[in-house]
Amino acid sequence: MTHLAYLDAGSGSLIVQAVVGGVAGAAVAAKLYWRRLVARFRRQPTDRS
Amino acid sequence: MAFFDTGVQAEPGSFRDPGNRVFHRHGEVLRGLDERSARDWRALAAADFFRDLLAAGKVCGTEELTPAPVDLPWAAVLRHERIPFVSHPYEWTYGMLRDAALLHLDVLRMALADGFTTKDGSAYNLQWRGATPVFIDVGSFEPARDGEPWAGYRQFCQTLLYPMLLQAHLGVDFQPWLRARIDGIEPDQIRRLFGGTRRWRPGVLTHVHLHGAMQARNARASTADVRAQLRAAGYSRELALATVRGLEKLVRRLDHRPGESYWSDYQRTCAYSVPDRQAKEEFVDRAATATAPGLVLDLGANDGRYARIAARQAGYVVAVEQDAAVADALYRALRAAGEQRVLPLVMDLADPSPGGGWRGVERAAFGDRARADLVLALAVVHHLAIGRNVPLAEVLDQFVALTAPGGSLVVEFVHPEDPMARRLLANKPDGLFPDYRREAFEPLLAARGRIVRQAELPSGTRTLYQVVVHG
Repeated sequence: MTHLAYLDAGSGSLIVQAVVGGVAGAAVAAKLYWRRLVARFRRQPTDRS
Repeated sequence: MAFFDTGVQAEPGSFRDPGNRVFHRHGEVLRGLDERSARDWRALAAADFFRDLLAAGKVCGTEELTPAPVDLPWAAVLRHERIPFVSHPYEWTYGMLRDAALLHLDVLRMALADGFTTKDGSAYNLQWRGATPVFIDVGSFEPARDGEPWAGYRQFCQTLLYPMLLQAHLGVDFQPWLRARIDGIEPDQIRRLFGGTRRWRPGVLTHVHLHGAMQARNARASTADVRAQLRAAGYSRELALATVRGLEKLVRRLDHRPGESYWSDYQRTCAYSVPDRQAKEEFVDRAATATAPGLVLDLGANDGRYARIAARQAGYVVAVEQDAAVADALYRALRAAGEQRVLPLVMDLADPSPGGGWRGVERAAFGDRARADLVLALAVVHHLAIGRNVPLAEVLDQFVALTAPGGSLVVEFVHPEDPMARRLLANKPDGLFPDYRREAFEPLLAARGRIVRQAELPSGTRTLYQVVVHG
């Protein structure tokens, strides 16, 4: 999806909004970081090959 | 700067969103929209929340010109209500900044609940009708996309929340910071001021430290990737609303009131006698009645006594006061009274707001915005001439520059024998101001306009003049 926002929302500024959104928000942030972690481990074998 | 042959003047402060631009034509404030923005506008115009905001006066009056003018290169053109006097956040008091922030969050919360959002979160999205804030950036609304946090959060922090944290938690005036940086205060800068136990003050740990750390850690991640990751992780509109509610709660807690300052009690403790004050009130009232001014500028407004008297006869009054605590007290009094025709501003007359932003014109200088039909300069000449060493002729030149051609200037000259002038002179070397005399002042005044009325105050050490400035 192309999103033509004129303003750079800031990547960190987007994530921190999940964290300040209470318990449910923190869960979203945790899930995001968990997925990033898993993705990194999944990528590693292909990176080496 | 005319860019078409059609009497169009582009608004220099409106270029950051290429999809819509504000311009002026024949005294009207118009906004041109490209195809995409025009689609967003039509969805917005049909939305309940927007109609509610318009009806409550929280968003500036807006209507679409139909049919769209064929001589303009836009898919649609909107006409906006004219804001009587454009001001910048660094000219606002703390209470004004806080109320502006609350209105922005209020507008955003209502938009989110109806499936819309705002593209940005800047303090410059807000203006004033007197002491009532109004959201002006109608081009900022767009349909919300599910699973996306607010794009304007960073701007909100930088231009509204951090300045409030500075003032409320540290007692540091926020105005110079905003004046110096058009995009506000970066998290990376403000976090350095909130070390040690200060990090536990309300809002600091999350919105300052965590925000700064997250920015640093995600500096290389694109916002498109992060948006997709957040959506996949289950970020929802409810979460966006919870964040806005959290911000509202925080801003409400930041109810800082500046301490009493030297000027806070000025009306009561200064050398005015009651007869003097009454004579001044009468003089101002007569000047305002005779001129029926559209715009009045009250320079050195203090508690706004004369601004309010002028407002009885005027279209709009801008009350400029140098002392932030005094101006904030005035704002709160005006706000409580629901005043919509007196705008209080904080500004040092010896250091008025310069032009700022791109090419120095994105935010117009005070002198370029102010052309008043009536200028009140009561008990300020001596502060500038003696207190700040500005030559008398230049003090008057500045007052005249702020007056529309043919407009009126009401100026008070405090004689050197007056107790207040003596107090100021006592701080300066003897004989530094040989020209600070009534005999020198009057010819300077007569050279700049026609003195139509003058009055001695009962104390005998102050003279009021009404001058029609040469056109």
